[in-house]
Amino acid sequence: MKVILLLSVLGLLALFAELFRFKKILYPIILIGLAGAIAVAISYWFFDDGVMTPYFTGMVDGKHQIPTAANAVGHSFNQMLAFGPSSVLFSVIILSTAFLWFIMSKGFFNNDSTNTDHYALIMFALVGAIILTCYTNMTMLFLGIEILSIPLYVLAGSKKSDPLSNESAFKYFILGSFASGFLLFGITLIYGASGSFDLKTIGTFINTSQETIPSFFYAGILLILVGLLFKLAAAPFHFWAPDVYQGAPTPITAFMSTVVKTAAIVAIIRLFLSTTFSGADAFWVPVLGVITGLTLVVGNVTAAAQNNVKRMLAFSSISHAGFLLLGVTALCGFSAKAIVFYTAAYSIGSIATFTVLINIMHQTGSDAIESFNGLGKKNPLMAFMLTIALFSLAGIPPTAGFFAKYYILTAAMTGGHNWLAIIGILSSLVGIYYYFKIIIAMYFKKPTDESLITINKQHQLLLIVTGVIIFLLGLLPDLILSIGDIDKASIEVSTTNILFLYA
Amino acid sequence: MTHITITQIMFCVLSLIAITSAALLIFSKSPIHSVLYLIVTFFAIAGHYILLNAQFLAVVHVIVYAGAIMVLFLFVIMMLNLNKETETHKPMWIQLMAVLAGGAMLVTLVGVLKGAEQMNLKQANDVNIGLVNNLGLVLFNDFLVPFELSSILFLAAMVGSVMLGKKTIS
Repeated sequence: MKVILLLSVLGLLALFAELFRFKKILYPIILIGLAGAIAVAISYWFFDDGVMTPYFTGMVDGKHQIPTAANAVGHSFNQMLAFGPSSVLFSVIILSTAFLWFIMSKGFFNNDSTNTDHYALIMFALVGAIILTCYTNMTMLFLGIEILSIPLYVLAGSKKSDPLSNESAFKYFILGSFASGFLLFGITLIYGASGSFDLKTIGTFINTSQETIPSFFYAGILLILVGLLFKLAAAPFHFWAPDVYQGAPTPITAFMSTVVKTAAIVAIIRLFLSTTFSGADAFWVPVLGVITGLTLVVGNVTAAAQNNVKRMLAFSSISHAGFLLLGVTALCGFSAKAIVFYTAAYSIGSIATFTVLINIMHQTGSDAIESFNGLGKKNPLMAFMLTIALFSLAGIPPTAGFFAKYYILTAAMTGGHNWLAIIGILSSLVGIYYYFKIIIAMYFKKPTDESLITINKQHQLLLIVTGVIIFLLGLLPDLILSIGDIDKASIEVSTTNILFLYA
Repeated sequence: MTHITITQIMFCVLSLIAITSAALLIFSKSPIHSVLYLIVTFFAIAGHYILLNAQFLAVVHVIVYAGAIMVLFLFVIMMLNLNKETETHKPMWIQLMAVLAGGAMLVTLVGVLKGAEQMNLKQANDVNIGLVNNLGLVLFNDFLVPFELSSILFLAAMVGSVMLGKKTIS
């Protein structure tokens, strides 16, 4: 809650920047604020029992809520939010990605009349993302999804003079609200069957009334899945993604494919890997398995056919969504941690790739693959760092992406989904093909013109930092994994996930 | 046939009105007619809310949707002069896919209602449950956090619309 409050205050501060004329120093303020939010999120790890006692219980008439030990620790704010270990890890990943994203997209906040609004909207979107890492109630799930989406609908269309940007915003808005409708319908059906919005109560309902669960409860699970998979851009709910990703301003595309994706997968694992829906796994695992396979194949095969780098990254982000879903489908004790590692590796790799793409697009004015020709000679540092990032995204050792894919596949094997693991391996081979297209263009193709490509100091530093992180995660993968270890011995059973999500 | 209550008759009549007007809303060619049918649908749904003892929700629904939002709709349609019967032609296979997907959805949703009539009601049929008093107590006790956080949602929507409407000063 403190993180949410801090981010909201930063958003409000950004809105007042124009009025009180501190627009010039807003950028450092936001960066410091984000760093503070990361620190607060980490502090939950160490002081998680005293800090999370409810502020909001029993305020009006006292007869409703008396804070007891049972609902004070872990489950605070009237069972609306619980900041467990997984929430801490995912919020830190989301906020750190956002921090790097701000360093990357300083140019997006250039001096025009709407830049303070951009800051505010991004901050509000982050509030939504953080809510999705720690919700324990269906109302909070819906609210989180909406708070995350609405600023992004607007930001996708923030290049007002560009018809592609307008189209992107419009498509995202119409289809996004349609998907929210599905989500709401699903929540309603589940409420109708179980009589509660609370995730734990719904889980208990599944376990106590196995035989007598009405069939519309399962329809509810499906509809919620549709709504959430839309946000994750999993096939067959991915048709919006290429157009929206290509039309939106490039920094916003980067934000959508890192922060939004992470938030969407957290929303899914909090429902499906926790006690909530894991009791009904016989029903949803086959469904999600088919969707996972489809997403992996569609994402990678269509990405291989693209000639436009931005569009290709959009399709490849679909395939990464497939890998994240593979972790959910696996439903074993290792799943949640494998997903944590995958989101971290994927976000870092994407930020580095988009940093280079923004510079290339800015200087050559094109995002076709030909504009990368000869980058190895024009700017060796940029080319080298992009190569590392692409190696990581493709999953080549010793980068972070290799271990990310390895852990997800291990989880899939442990869960007994060997076929899906094979599809995953085959489709990531296709992935290597299209990531190498860029690397080949950079090092082995002759440049179309002789102009040098320059990069400013800030981006240079960012590329080096992301490169180091990619290598660190690749060489010491235990760095993140051991943080999440609550009980190493019980890695086989799915109770680890439950502890992980709710402890 | 002895057990049909007045509530059931009202439910059937309201449902019939709602479904018919919703279908007419989709099939009518003129946007103005569509909007007018939508208003009828909203009123029928407000009737359903009253049957479910959600009186406050029914009133708010009529005021906000049938009142404010529909007026806005009509205003925009008339201002932009959209009253032409222009309909872009979609390819045959897209229409086929849409019918298939929508049909599958309809079959699923109707199918899952089987057996729902044997369920016990989770909430006791409390007549006062939808009054402002109770709603306020629930909002400010159990749902205080979502209630407060929804202000962020509305603020984001407002900032967004202002940003899109603002002139770019160069």
